[in-house]
Amino acid sequence: MAESSAADKSVQVKLVLLGEAAVGKSSVVLRFVSNDFQPNKEPTIGAAFLTQKCRLEDRVLRYEIWDTAGQERFHSLAPMYYRNAQAAVVVYDITKASSLEKAKSWVKELQRQANPNIVIALAGNKLDLVSAAASSSSASGDVSEDEADDATATPGEAPAAGESDSLRQVPREEAQAYATEAGLLFFETSAKTGEGIVDLFTEIAKKIPIEHILASTRGGAGRPGAGSSRANAPRADVNLDDSTKPKEACNC
Amino acid sequence: MSTISTALRNFKEPTKDELTEIFFSIPSAASTPPAPKDEVTNKTEEVERMEINAVMSMGVHGEEDSYAGKLYLIAPYLTFASLDRKSVRLTLPLSTIRRVERLNARAGIYALSLALWHGSKIIVQLTSLRPTADLFCSLLRDALKIELQKGQMKKVKPFVKTCYSETLVTESATVADQEHEDGSLIAEEKDSGPRESTFHGGLGLRFKFPGDPRKLREASKIKLWTQYLKTHGRNLTLLRYPQCTRLVQVGLPNRLRGEMWETLSGSIFLRFSNPGYYEQLLKDNEGRTSASTEDIEKDLHRSLPEYAGYQSEDGISALRRVLQAYAFKNPELGYCQAMNILAAAILIYMSEEQAFWLLEVLCDRLLPGYYAPSMHGTLLDQRVFESLVQRCLPMIHDHFQAVDVQLSVASLPWFLSLFINSMPMIFAFRIVDCFFCMGPKVLFQVGTAILKINGEKLLQVQDDGHFLHLMRDYFASLGESAHPDSNDPRARAITRFQELLLVSFREFAVVTEEMIQGERRRFRSEIIHSIESFAKRSAVRNLRTLERFTKDQAGLVYDSLYRAMCVFPPPPATLPPPSLLTTDDQAGADKPETRIGLKTFQYFLSEVATWARDEKIVSNGFQQRVDRSVAEHEFIDRLFFFWDVSCRGALSFQDLISGLDGVMFNGLMENIEWFFNLHDKNKDGFLTKDEVLTLSETFLFIFRYEIGDAYLGAVSRFMSNAFEYGDALLPQPEEGDDSPAPLPANQPYLNLATFRMVVLADEILESFFETDLTASFRLDPLPESFDAAATLGPSSSSSSGILGDLWSTIATDSNKKMFNMFTDEIGKAVGKHQVVHKPSIGRYTTLEEPKARESLLTPGMRHSVSRGSLRSIDEKDGVRLTPERTTPGISPGRVSPRPVTPTQEKKRERVVSDGDSMPLIQKAAAALLERPQFEIDHVESEDEGDDAFGVGEDEDEGVDENVMDEVDAFLEAHDSGLTEADKEVAKGLIDAKPMK
Repeated sequence: MAESSAADKSVQVKLVLLGEAAVGKSSVVLRFVSNDFQPNKEPTIGAAFLTQKCRLEDRVLRYEIWDTAGQERFHSLAPMYYRNAQAAVVVYDITKASSLEKAKSWVKELQRQANPNIVIALAGNKLDLVSAAASSSSASGDVSEDEADDATATPGEAPAAGESDSLRQVPREEAQAYATEAGLLFFETSAKTGEGIVDLFTEIAKKIPIEHILASTRGGAGRPGAGSSRANAPRADVNLDDSTKPKEACNC
Repeated sequence: MSTISTALRNFKEPTKDELTEIFFSIPSAASTPPAPKDEVTNKTEEVERMEINAVMSMGVHGEEDSYAGKLYLIAPYLTFASLDRKSVRLTLPLSTIRRVERLNARAGIYALSLALWHGSKIIVQLTSLRPTADLFCSLLRDALKIELQKGQMKKVKPFVKTCYSETLVTESATVADQEHEDGSLIAEEKDSGPRESTFHGGLGLRFKFPGDPRKLREASKIKLWTQYLKTHGRNLTLLRYPQCTRLVQVGLPNRLRGEMWETLSGSIFLRFSNPGYYEQLLKDNEGRTSASTEDIEKDLHRSLPEYAGYQSEDGISALRRVLQAYAFKNPELGYCQAMNILAAAILIYMSEEQAFWLLEVLCDRLLPGYYAPSMHGTLLDQRVFESLVQRCLPMIHDHFQAVDVQLSVASLPWFLSLFINSMPMIFAFRIVDCFFCMGPKVLFQVGTAILKINGEKLLQVQDDGHFLHLMRDYFASLGESAHPDSNDPRARAITRFQELLLVSFREFAVVTEEMIQGERRRFRSEIIHSIESFAKRSAVRNLRTLERFTKDQAGLVYDSLYRAMCVFPPPPATLPPPSLLTTDDQAGADKPETRIGLKTFQYFLSEVATWARDEKIVSNGFQQRVDRSVAEHEFIDRLFFFWDVSCRGALSFQDLISGLDGVMFNGLMENIEWFFNLHDKNKDGFLTKDEVLTLSETFLFIFRYEIGDAYLGAVSRFMSNAFEYGDALLPQPEEGDDSPAPLPANQPYLNLATFRMVVLADEILESFFETDLTASFRLDPLPESFDAAATLGPSSSSSSGILGDLWSTIATDSNKKMFNMFTDEIGKAVGKHQVVHKPSIGRYTTLEEPKARESLLTPGMRHSVSRGSLRSIDEKDGVRLTPERTTPGISPGRVSPRPVTPTQEKKRERVVSDGDSMPLIQKAAAALLERPQFEIDHVESEDEGDDAFGVGEDEDEGVDENVMDEVDAFLEAHDSGLTEADKEVAKGLIDAKPMK
């Protein structure tokens, strides 16, 4: 195993994003992977695949992120993406109560159908839409503009100035209580401002049974050709990782 | 919240006629909206279909060879395909035929000359026997007459004006010259102004087409096509010779692409036959919103966003209109992500109307079920693709299995978006060209070719991520040279994309349309089963509460509900206007829940409750079966509304679970109370006199067909007691005089305590509430095969006896009915026909010992019965119950075998006809009856039926079939090639004069 540990100390973690359409799954990933908030250039058919590294103490985690399509009818395809996943982020939109219901049903499904050790995090996205009070000066005007650019944002949901608090449909406490009860990590995030995003992925990383994964990969790496492919795979991402590391590497 | 769909069960394999229609891209009846006018005349004027062997040639010297093949008359189209089904193909709307003449040729040759709208002439030699040819001609004449009467001929002229090819051909002289000089399309842009108004075109005309026209060799492609279209017809009359396919394979020129897509896919026929439909559809649905329109809005800005057209409002709104129009036309499918990509892509090359109809053909015929709510087509084709890879590229398949990589993670988007989302657009569009020309098999061919070309690298892949990266890199390099190190400059010039097409169509030419059809047939039930069990799992998981059911039991309730929905489909959940849904609790708006109406409920209840069905035991000598039909009674309707706690006039899965919970798990006192409440309409804790009567009627309904009069006695005792106590208690509430309307009938009369007392006074009623009511609800798992037999008729039946196992294999319900009628006839003839109503709660069921009342169980045993009926999955059932009261009554209808005690065995032999003890010969004879559809269908008269169970007749049938096959084979062998002499004849016909 000498060559493989030299090539990468990184642990590969498969993470899947699930949630109702237009809650901002793709935006959360984009923020995490390239620290960016942009109109989505790549429409999600089935699932988009991205990678990002995350440093945790002496270890480097390499997230393989599957960003799934949110439309209901793609639901039956989801098992293809969440099978063998070590982590899942279930996203809902804090300005849309129904999206939490959908999130709950995803959690139930994951707990029954997915890998039994899966780490599940619940993320209430679009925090920027309700926390306008915190940064009132730049508040809603910007928000609506940017959100409109974001292809996944629901049009017409942009807030008028001053009303932002009433937009919240899911109280933080309620979601927190549910998350605690179901044993999930919980965060409120904003893909637009970046708030909570890095924390989300860092906390997941901390909770993942790394040793367990290492043990199983080691077992798998015994196969012929495994070593070379492990060396190959990360190379494709080097550029991406380098450019984003200063901003993005988890600070822990 | 869950939606339950039975749509998949309704799938039917296409018939031979439908396959022919699909082959010739003829719009199916379903995709053509019914014409509002002349609906009456349409029916009478159908001309029957006919096919005939023919040799076709073009009526011009030196143009193309003659081809032998088949000519089909499928009004209002005339089609031809060469024997190999690919060299030559033609689909001709009859209205484009200007003139048909019988040619005066050598003796024995029967030839027709068809003059077409575009001035071309084709000559068909009918090579079948003379009478057949005569019949074909007369049918053709009739069909043409009808088209003329309908005024279709007049519609051709304005329609072809909308086609770019007309402009191209008529002005070809100037256009071609200009293009030649510039080598690009710039010259054309100048005078495109006046023409644009006449022909349909896409966004590309304004926002430029993707790719460099010079590199794409637009000019020479246009020239080649102009030539081809001039001589071989165009748009509605395009005649496809091998040259056509070859030209498509090198890539369609941008300006012609849209029209060729609709011509090749056949969507042009839809546009032709439905003028103005698209505009009208948009107008009719203006301002309407639905879940689909919301989804569409979300995706408009991420549909090929890099294309200039979709950075402008014009492009976006065109895309919106097309997608919405489709969703309005087909609300059941609505909108599925990936359709936005397709629509955006085709809108670059075609007008909105063209794109709308092409989308229709795509979703309906070319990619069937891909975008349906269950996406079953996608899942099915992924499975088919996997199996193809297993067959053609076993090493890759095995490796992927070994490292647990799923092919679909990469290939799913290929199929779903026709590669548009995976490859650079200019390449994807060339695949789309071939796809429309050669059919859906192209996707499979290109898919396998991609894997083959990257084979070595793929064998190094260790996980999904790596696989995806590899594919991404490959697609990005498609424009590069496939052999960069070659010394031969011509080899260096071959791009990877060209290599891909070459491998696709050469090496994977083995992948045919028939092969894919066959594979789909092979995997369909597997896919449907997995989708359905997935849906079931999520429905059970998403229940708000399971109440006291286990998950397995809830699953059984789901199964019963599902079966009921197969028989009586509830109104589609997507259809109600959004206003109805917004009153719903939050989640309802996005995911309308499936709710069933009364009719479906009745069937559902007949599945789970013994008294809610009428069962007749029919024995006819060698078969005993139970004919089951849904019972109708006020009580069942009452139950429906009782369980409809949210008062919506429809029940959800959750309502059923909660409702059943209220009756299936309770003891004596709770059941009495439940029954009381069920009949206490105004919930004031009192039954009125009328309600007492209704309640008694309910008793009688539940106890109908019970053997002996013990139950009748119990009910009449109940009534007299109830009225006695009621009357005795009456003065007291009247003294209080609370009731504002002292109408005797509506007056509170009997309260729960009194009711309980009256019930407990009677042993039979007591035992009914203690055990029988609960036990009458049964959640029995049906054997898999029975389940798979799909839709059961309204009066479905199940059978026991020796045919029990064979039963489920007789496919359709109508077959079963036939079969039953047939056996009944025999039974009557033999004098063994007998029909007995099965008691509804099955308390005393041993038919020959109706006086079984004394054999009541001890209370302890009764208790175990009620629990046991819920544990129906295990097979303890039969053993636990005492022999006297069980046997056929439990459920002779069930096909499932259960352990039988010796006493029961004896009883069954006696009671359930001759069943198992049937002689072997008879068994064999009966087994012969279990045959595929057509034989049974032919069993019509009684005479034949008596004829040794129709064995002799079966043989005749078989011989006939064989003969037909032989004749067919002979004819085909004869026609397969044309001799030199034949060709001479065909050539000679070009100059032949029409007959007088």
